[in-house]
Amino acid sequence: MIYLDHNASTPVDPEVSRAIHEVLADPGLQANPSSVHVGGQRVRAVLERGRRQIARALGVNTLQVTLTSGGTEANNLALFGAARWLRKHDRRHGVLSSPLEHPSVRTAVSRLAAEGVFTCEVEVDRHGRIGPEAVLAKLSQHPEIGVISLALCNHELGNVYPIAQIAEAVRKLRPDIVIHTDAVQAVGKMAIQFPQLNVDLLSLSGHKINGPKGVGALIHRRGIQLDPVFVGGHQERGRRPGTENPALVMGLAVAARLSSERLAQHREHVQGLRARLLAGLDAMTGVVVNGDRQHNVGNTVNFSVDGCEGQLLLINLDLAGIAVSTGAACSAGSLEPSHVLLSLGIPGETARGSIRVSIGGSNTSEDIDALLTALPQAITRVRGTAAPSIGFSRADFTDT
Amino acid sequence: MRVVCAMSGGVDSSLAAALMVEAGHDVVGMTMRLYNASEAPGKGRGGTCCSPAEVDLARQVCDQLGVPHYTVDESERFSDHVIGDFAREYAGGRTPNPCVRCNEHVKFAPLLARAEAISADLLVTGHYARIEQGHLLRGVDPSKDQSYFLFAMGEHVLPKVRFPLGGWNKDRVRERARDLDLPNWDAPDSVELCFVGGRSHADVVAQQVQARGLDTNALAPGNFVDSEGNVVGTHQGIHTVTVGQRRGLRIAGTKPRYVLRVLPERREVVVGSVDALSRRELELHDLRWFGPRPEGPIRGHVQIRHRSPAAAATIEVDNNLARVRFDEPVRAIAPGQAGVVYSGDRVLGGGWIEVVEANA
Repeated sequence: MIYLDHNASTPVDPEVSRAIHEVLADPGLQANPSSVHVGGQRVRAVLERGRRQIARALGVNTLQVTLTSGGTEANNLALFGAARWLRKHDRRHGVLSSPLEHPSVRTAVSRLAAEGVFTCEVEVDRHGRIGPEAVLAKLSQHPEIGVISLALCNHELGNVYPIAQIAEAVRKLRPDIVIHTDAVQAVGKMAIQFPQLNVDLLSLSGHKINGPKGVGALIHRRGIQLDPVFVGGHQERGRRPGTENPALVMGLAVAARLSSERLAQHREHVQGLRARLLAGLDAMTGVVVNGDRQHNVGNTVNFSVDGCEGQLLLINLDLAGIAVSTGAACSAGSLEPSHVLLSLGIPGETARGSIRVSIGGSNTSEDIDALLTALPQAITRVRGTAAPSIGFSRADFTDT
Repeated sequence: MRVVCAMSGGVDSSLAAALMVEAGHDVVGMTMRLYNASEAPGKGRGGTCCSPAEVDLARQVCDQLGVPHYTVDESERFSDHVIGDFAREYAGGRTPNPCVRCNEHVKFAPLLARAEAISADLLVTGHYARIEQGHLLRGVDPSKDQSYFLFAMGEHVLPKVRFPLGGWNKDRVRERARDLDLPNWDAPDSVELCFVGGRSHADVVAQQVQARGLDTNALAPGNFVDSEGNVVGTHQGIHTVTVGQRRGLRIAGTKPRYVLRVLPERREVVVGSVDALSRRELELHDLRWFGPRPEGPIRGHVQIRHRSPAAAATIEVDNNLARVRFDEPVRAIAPGQAGVVYSGDRVLGGGWIEVVEANA
C-alpha cells in the first residue's frame, strides 16, 4: 500500500516501538508511578524522563508539560480548562476561534457556548488565511473575549498560521487573554519552540509524529490556571487525573526527540514530493488546489476535482493500493462536505469532490508518480458513469 | 471479476458477500447510510437495516472475509423517495410500500452507478429472488421470497445484478452463515420498516408531515362512516388506518368492522363488514415491465401485498395503466401498495394500485 494519509496518522518509528516495548516488558516497571515504594519510584523516573524529552523538544521545562491521551484531550483541556477557570474567577472568558479548527476544538467551543459562554469566529478568506488584523478586529468588537484558540497548522489544508505574530498583536491590545494553539498538525513538520510562539497553551499528539496513538500533551505557560476536565486524582498536578501511561509517554518522548532531530531533512524531503505532486495536479484539467499555497506546512495537498464525488475517487485509489483521505478522517463516513472547505466559500458539491493527500517521511517520488498515474484514471472512471451526481442533488435520477 | 456487495449488516447480505468471495470474485462491500440525525430510527425489535450498529456488523463481516468495505451516503435520496413518500402517502389516505420505493430509487440504480465508477461489473445483494435468463423470478423459499418488492428495480439494472440467495431457504442461509462463523448468523430477521424502529407508523407520519411542512390537516381526527354515509365513530386521523384494518378502530357495536376505503378530501374513513372488503377489479398506474409492455389482455397472477398469494387475473394494459380483473374476489386491496404481475414464478412487471372498483 502507498500511504499518503499522514495527517490522519503516521507509522510508529521502530525506535519508538522499541522504547514502548521496553517499558511494557520490564518486570521492574510494573508499579504505579504514584506509589511511594521503590517500585513506584522507578516507574515515576521513567515517566519523568519521558516528560523531560518532550519538554526539551518544545523548548520548555517539565512543569509546562501536562500529559494527555492525545490531541483531542489536550484541546478539550485547553478550552474547557481555560474558559471555565476564567468564568469561575469572574474574568473575561469569551472564546474566539476560527471556522477552520479541528472538530475537537469546534465542538468544545460549541459546548462552551451551550454553557452560556460567549463565542465567536474570526473571518477567513477564500484560501483559508487568517491574519492578526482579523483577530484584532474581533477583539475590539467583543471585549468579553478571554480565550483565543487557533491552530498552528490546518489539518485539512496544511495552511500555516502566523500565530506568533497574532499573539504579539493580541498581547499589545489585551495582555490578559489566554492564547491556545492546536499544534497537532504542526509538530514534526516545522520548527516549534513554545517560548517563541508567545502563546499560553499548545496541544500536540503522539501519532502524528511517528509515535503511538493514545498519547499527547498540553504544553503551557508556567502558572497557567486550568479547570480540570477529569476529576479523581492528583496526577499531572491535578490538571489531568488518572494513572499515567509510562510506556506511551516514553513512546511520545522518543518520537518527539526523533522528529526534532530529523526536522530539516524531513522538511526538505516532503516539500520536494509536494512540489512534484502540485506540478502534476496543475497539469490536470478540472483539478483545483485548495488553501494557501504559499504558507503550507509542506506535506499537505488538498484538491477538488470537478464533477467527481471525493468518496468515489478515494475508493478507486484505495482499490489501486493508494491511501488518501477526503477531509478530516473523523468526518469520513458521515460524508458531510468538509466544514473547512465550506468555510472557504467552496460550494458543497465541490467540497464533496475534494481529496487530501498528506505526505510522510517514508514516501518516495515513486509514490507520488503512482498517485499521479492512478488519479486521472480514477477521475475518468468516475466522470464516465452516472455516479458523479450521485449523492448530491435531489431527483437527479429517474428510474424509468 | 470485481463485484460490489450491498451489505445491510444482516445475515443475508453478509452470506451473499461470503459466497461471492468463495466464488473467487474481487468483492467490495458497500453499506448505505440512509438516515440523517432527525430521521434516525428509535430502538426497534430485531435488526434495523443500515443503522450504525448494522454498519459495524457489515464492516466486521468484510474484515473477516478480507475484503474492503465502504459506507456511502444515500440519506438524501432515502429521505426524499422513501421516508418522504411514506409520509405523503399515508397523509393522503393511502398505504405506501417503502421497501419497493427503496429498491426503485435507492438500492439498485445509484449503487450500480457507484459500482461502475469503481470498475465493478456486478452489484450483488442478499435478496431472496432469482435472476435467470434475464428474467426476475421468485426466490425458492416461499416464506422469504422478496420478488414482490423488486418489481420496480428497473429492467436496465437486471443484467448487472446478482442475487446469490435466490435458490436458498433461510434455514440453510443461517446454517451456512454459522459454519462460516459470520457474527450475525443468528441475528433476528427484521420485522418492521427500518426507519420506523419501534415507533408506530402514525407517529412517524405525524413527525415527518410536520418536519417537511406538509399539510397537517390530514392528521386531524375525522369520522368513521358506513357505506350509506352515516357517522359511526371518530378516528384519530386518516394516517392512523389502512384498508383492511379491523383492530384498534374503537367503533361501538357488536359486529366486526373493517376499513373499506379512505376519503382524504373529506377526512372520512368508510367501514363495513368483512364481505364488503372483497373486490374483483383494480387499476395499476405507473407501470414497470421487465421486457416489452404486453400487448392486449394477458392472463397472469397479480399479488397485491407482500405475503399474500398472487391471484389469477386478466390484465388489460393501456399505456401506463393496467386494469386487473381477478377471477375470484380479492380482499383488502389498498391504494398505494404495489400490484405485481406474475407468470408462474416470473415477475412480468407491475404498478401502483390507484383505483379500486366499488363492485364486489
